[in-house]
Parts: sequence; C-alpha cells; structure tokens
Amino acid sequence: MKSFVATARYEFTMQWRKRSVWIVTGVLALLLVAIGAGQLTYVFDASDTKTAMARAALLLQLLLPVGYGSLLADRLVRDRQIRIAEVLDATPADATARLAGKYAGSCAATAVPILVLYLVVGVAYGIAEGDWAAAGWVFAIFVVITLPGLAFVGAAALAFPLVMPTPLFRVLFVGYWFWGNAVTPAAMPTTAQTLLAPEGAYGLRQFFGYDEEIMRPRGDLFNVLRPEVSATTAVLSIALLAVLSVLLLAGANAVQSRSTR
Amino acid sequence: MDIDIQNVTRTFRGGVTALDDLTLHIPTGMFGLLGNNGAGKTTLMRILAGLLRPTAGRVVVGGHELATKAGQQAVKAELGYLPQDLGLYPDLTARQFLDYVALLKGLDRTADRRRRVGEMLELVALTDVADRRLKGFSGGMRRRIGIAQALLNDPRLLIVDEPTAGLDPEERIRFRTLLSQLPGSRTVLLSTHIVEDVAQTCRQVAILGRGQVRFRGTVDEVVAHAGGRVWSVTTRQDGPPAGVVVSALAHEDGTRYRVVSDIRPSEDAVALEPTLEDGYLALTGAITVAG
Amino acid sequence: MLTPPSVLVLGMIAAAAQFGAGENDASIARTLIGVLEMLLPLAAGGGAASLIGHDPVAELVASCPTGYPVTLVRRLIVSLTWITVLAVLASTALIATGWWDRWPAAHAPLPGQLTWLSPVLFLAALGFLAGAVLRSPGTAAGIVAVVWLTQQVLNSLMQSSPAARMLNLFVTTRGMPADWTVNRLVLLGGAVVLFLFAWLVLTRSEATYSGEGS
Repeated sequence: MKSFVATARYEFTMQWRKRSVWIVTGVLALLLVAIGAGQLTYVFDASDTKTAMARAALLLQLLLPVGYGSLLADRLVRDRQIRIAEVLDATPADATARLAGKYAGSCAATAVPILVLYLVVGVAYGIAEGDWAAAGWVFAIFVVITLPGLAFVGAAALAFPLVMPTPLFRVLFVGYWFWGNAVTPAAMPTTAQTLLAPEGAYGLRQFFGYDEEIMRPRGDLFNVLRPEVSATTAVLSIALLAVLSVLLLAGANAVQSRSTR
Repeated sequence: MDIDIQNVTRTFRGGVTALDDLTLHIPTGMFGLLGNNGAGKTTLMRILAGLLRPTAGRVVVGGHELATKAGQQAVKAELGYLPQDLGLYPDLTARQFLDYVALLKGLDRTADRRRRVGEMLELVALTDVADRRLKGFSGGMRRRIGIAQALLNDPRLLIVDEPTAGLDPEERIRFRTLLSQLPGSRTVLLSTHIVEDVAQTCRQVAILGRGQVRFRGTVDEVVAHAGGRVWSVTTRQDGPPAGVVVSALAHEDGTRYRVVSDIRPSEDAVALEPTLEDGYLALTGAITVAG
Repeated sequence: MLTPPSVLVLGMIAAAAQFGAGENDASIARTLIGVLEMLLPLAAGGGAASLIGHDPVAELVASCPTGYPVTLVRRLIVSLTWITVLAVLASTALIATGWWDRWPAAHAPLPGQLTWLSPVLFLAALGFLAGAVLRSPGTAAGIVAVVWLTQQVLNSLMQSSPAARMLNLFVTTRGMPADWTVNRLVLLGGAVVLFLFAWLVLTRSEATYSGEGS
C-alpha cells in the first residue's frame, strides 16, 4: 500500500507539471469555439439543465479521451526509455503496487484539465441560463460517467504500448475511439452505444436524462450488447469498464514481469 | 553479508552467453570486480540486485536464496544499487527524487526519511541544488544523486557499477573515501574500468572474462602477477615494442612506452614497479593470448 | 513504419466486413476511399508528431555538420514517402478494380490522388509543427488526434461555415463535392505554411533535441 501511495503521489506530481497535459485540452476547447460555439447551442437547447449538461458531457467525452490516451501512452514504457527502471526494480517495493500507483497517479493528473473544462462548461451555462446547478450536474457526470471511461482509456494507454510501438498505439487508439464511440450504429456495425462503450451511453441516459434513444439497427451484430436502458444496465456498463480496466492492467503487469526477468 | 554464486549461467536471446558456469564467493567487505567490456560484470551485478534470473545455478546473498521471492525481497530491503546506465526523472527535484526512492525502499517515517535525504544530499555535496529539477543537472551531479539514492537505506549490500564515471578527480576521491569509510559489516561490490578505484579501496578482487572468473584473489596478488614484467621503453621506431602496452607518451627522445612483457623488450628497457593496472593487463593479456 | 500498413489492413478488414454483411457498393467504396482519406493522414500526423522529443542520439546528430533540423526533415520525408507508396498502390488497386468509381464523389484518378495527399500533408505538417514547438510526442500526437476526431464528430457543423469547409480534411467521403478542388488546394497550402513554421522553430531552438523532459 505504501509503495502504491508513494508511486501515485510522485507520478501525479510529474504528470501534473507537464504543460502538455493542459495544452491538448486547451486545443480542443479552442477548436470547439472556432468551429462554431454559436452552432453548438443545440447542446444546451435542452428541456432542463441536467439534460443540457449530459449533452455537453457526451460531446466532450467523445473528443477528449483521445488526447488523454495519447498523453498517457508513454507513461509505463518511459521508465525503460529514460533508464530509471533498474533503480526502481532494485527496491523492495512491490512491482504490482508500483504499476497501480503509476496508473492512478498519472491518470488522475491527466484527468484534471478535463474536469476543469467540464466545470467551465457548467459555469458558463450557469451564467448564461442563471442555473448554477449546472456545475453540480457536470461534476456528477464527470464522476459517474466520465471517470470510468477515462479509467478504461488510461489502462489501455499504459498496457498496449508494452506490446506495440507507442506511435502505432496512438493511431490505432484514435481509430478505435472513433469507431467504438463516435460512429452511429446506423452507419456501420460498432460498439458505440453498447454496454462496452466508454462514452457512457447507458449511464448518461439512465442517470442524467440524455434524451436520445439508443440506436438498434435491425440485424446489427452488436445489438446483443444494447439491452434496454435501466439502472441495472447502467451500473453494469460502468462495472464492465472497470473490469476491462483491471484486466488490461493485469496484462500490463504480466508483460512487465516477464520482460523484467 | 557475503555472497555465494554457484555455477551461474545466464544466456540471452540469440544465444549470447553472458555468464558461463560462474562460481564465486564474495566475502563481507570491499570487493572489486574487473573485466573487459562484455566480460559479464553488469549481468552479474543485475543478478545480484534481483533484476535478472540466472538461466542456471544458484545465488545466496546473506543467507537468502535469490531464487525465491522472499529471498529477493529480503535482499532488496538491504540493497543499495547504482547501475552503470543511470536515468533520473527529469521533472522531479533532487530532494523529491531521493524522497521517492526512500519511500520505495521502505523509509516510511516522514521525519526519519527527510532527515536521511538531507544527510545524503549533504554527503554528495548537493544540498545547495536540492530543490532544482534534475533535468538541469550535469552528468557528474546526476551520478552523485545516483550514489545518494544507493545509500539512502544504509544498505548492508552495496552494488555499484561504474560509480565514478563522469565524476571529476575531486569527486572521485571523495567517493573513494566515502566507500572506504563504510562500516565493516557491509559488502560493497565495486565494478569499474577505472582500475585505480579498485586499487584505492579494495583488498579482494575478481577478474571476469567471457562470463567466467579468470582470477580471484587479493589486489596484491594481481599486482604481483606483473612483478618483474613491467618495463619502460623509449623508442623512435614505428609501432610499440613487444608485450602488452599500458601507456604511450610522446617524448622529445621518441615515444616512451610502459609495457608488460615476460622478456625484456630491449636492451635499454628499464624495469618498473608494477601497479594494479599492470597486473590486470598482465592477467588479461595472458588470457587473450591463451584464449 | 508499421503504422501506415496497419491502418490500411484494418480499413480493408472493415470493408470486407461490410461486403460480407451485404452492404451496397457505394458504402463499401466510401470505406475504401475513407481509408486513404481518413486513416492514412492520421497515421501520417501521428508519425510526424513522434519524430521529435525522444531521440536518444539527438545531441550527437546536432553536433554533426548536417544538423538536427535537416535530419528531422529527412526522417519526415522518409515517412511521407512510405505513406505515398502505400497510398499510390492502394488507390491504383481501387481504380483498377473499379471500386474507386463506385463512390460518386470520387474524382478522376490523377487529381483524385489529392484525396489522400492533401490531408496527409496537412496532418503531417500539423504533427511536425506541434512536435517542434512542444517537444513532446504524446502532446503533439494528442493534438493531431483531437483535430482529426473533432473534424469527424463535428463534420456537419464544419460544412455550414465556408471557412471551415475549406479546412475539412474529409471532403471526399464526408463533405460537399462542390468545394473539393479548392479545399484540397487550401489544405496543401496550409501544409506548406505549417511546415515553414515548423522549420523556423527547429532552426531557432537549441532545445529541440533535448525533449520536453518526459
């Protein structure tokens, strides 16, 4: 536990200090404004504050994790790249605890700018509409919906570069993210809007009133993963993401143990 | 904390044999490890530090079997390790980095840990830059941080691989003095190409060659191996005289060579008192010829 | 070097899956052309972004007469040449098999090469500039990824603005046909501008080869 806390603390510190963590989120914010902040009002043109924040969160959740994953992709492999691995491996600290700490610390630090952007959206809505509950809703959405998705992305970003070149992972991940979250099921078979989608389709609809139905094209291969939206399926979706995250980290641990010895 | 290495072999992918049925006993105290590049020194260090597993053989450190997880943990709890190829986290300050490593080494009590970090910074004369980020450190300063982290937990086993690489002469002397002052119940394994570091600090030494122990004995025995075989020869002819050349210095009378040779290289060759370096070259030169 | 052929293969698998599912030819053709217009540029941008920041021999190269900026540009050219070879082979195969023409918005074979060339050069230039300025492969690749994905997700919004339409990376498969030629030329021009900025940054900065500091 102590190794976990120590590693998490210092990984957070190192990642937090990188200006790049803020730059990617900042670039996205600029792009959203440039492409047409005025035209994005459909996001806010909802029946209530909670739904408006759900719409905003879905848009951000579709876009931000690619930058998040890209920033985290080298966190695990860099110990070997900068030749610190031997010093750390020679300590009695448990390697699994260190891996978990690295995951927790670096993912947390990289998520902070995303949370800030969410809160900015909430505050902006609060100012525009005079409803300050928006900030509370957007924070709740971040915790319940966004964090599980980011946890999954973070685990994938740490694990996959152990078995493939990091630049290849970054490109494949963007492709997967687009296909698995942004593509509508009507356009092609996709895991978007399923229990496994990190976008949080089920949670947003069940808990935060997102007001578009899940698409279930007739005969779609992935409809088996698109049950009716309910509290059970929403919780199941979050739990599945957590399980996938743990599996990815377990895989990373196994790969690291093998390569260390 | 003595070390028993029994018939250890380590091969890597591609059929590279770094250690070949190596057997060596390292007693408590200062112990030097010499050898050419590719002799297997770093591989041996990594095995002793628990970073690599031998392909075959057995290693016991201070009574702990390195083959078991419990044994490895027990050794790591008492280990200070300075690798040859040392990297640091550039975004941490010196103090933060040492604090981090101290935490990983089990120094959990905050007050004790901070005190210890302060002491180590003082020891390596880096207190003034303790709060500067490591990316701004020179090579010598980085090496000193490496030494500091190795000593954080007051280790009973200290493994240092090329510890004085990149240090200026004053820093090198300071480090040698530091090593020599470490209490007698420790084992310090010093691997280096800088023969003088071993000469100044170690009584016992092993020379590795092609993954095997080629010599095991005292520093005096290594030096004695070159007794009566070290010569100074000044010549104007092209090319060095026969024997193993230790040094060559341009001179107004020609080139002055220091050579190790079984026979007097020339009539005007002057016999010299051997040093550890001469003995090392006499041994490894003989090995090269024989091998 | 592995990334471009990997994305080509994945795209072909997606098209094959569509074929197996009995989708219409236009849809399959759009996927195939989409591989060239969408995935290869993403690979180009990601590759260019990774050239600066984690080079173990940067200092050594910088001390040579050729200099580090020139070396980086040469690496970029090698990367883009590889992508060009793959793109030409793939587009030739599509043209020869008739799949190229089954997408209504596809252009004639020769000018049609701008389908992939313009977005490849634009995203490569963006990645290269981001890498030169930020010296962090992760950040630079993240910026390329965010730009690419934003254009995908908000493509319909981009089409409602004339200025945004000119910078639409995916106009062949997802844009308005009338804008195609101007759009491709604007992207090429934009790539040139971004490359020039990147060159200025590289030649004025000693810190280029030191990396951001992980």
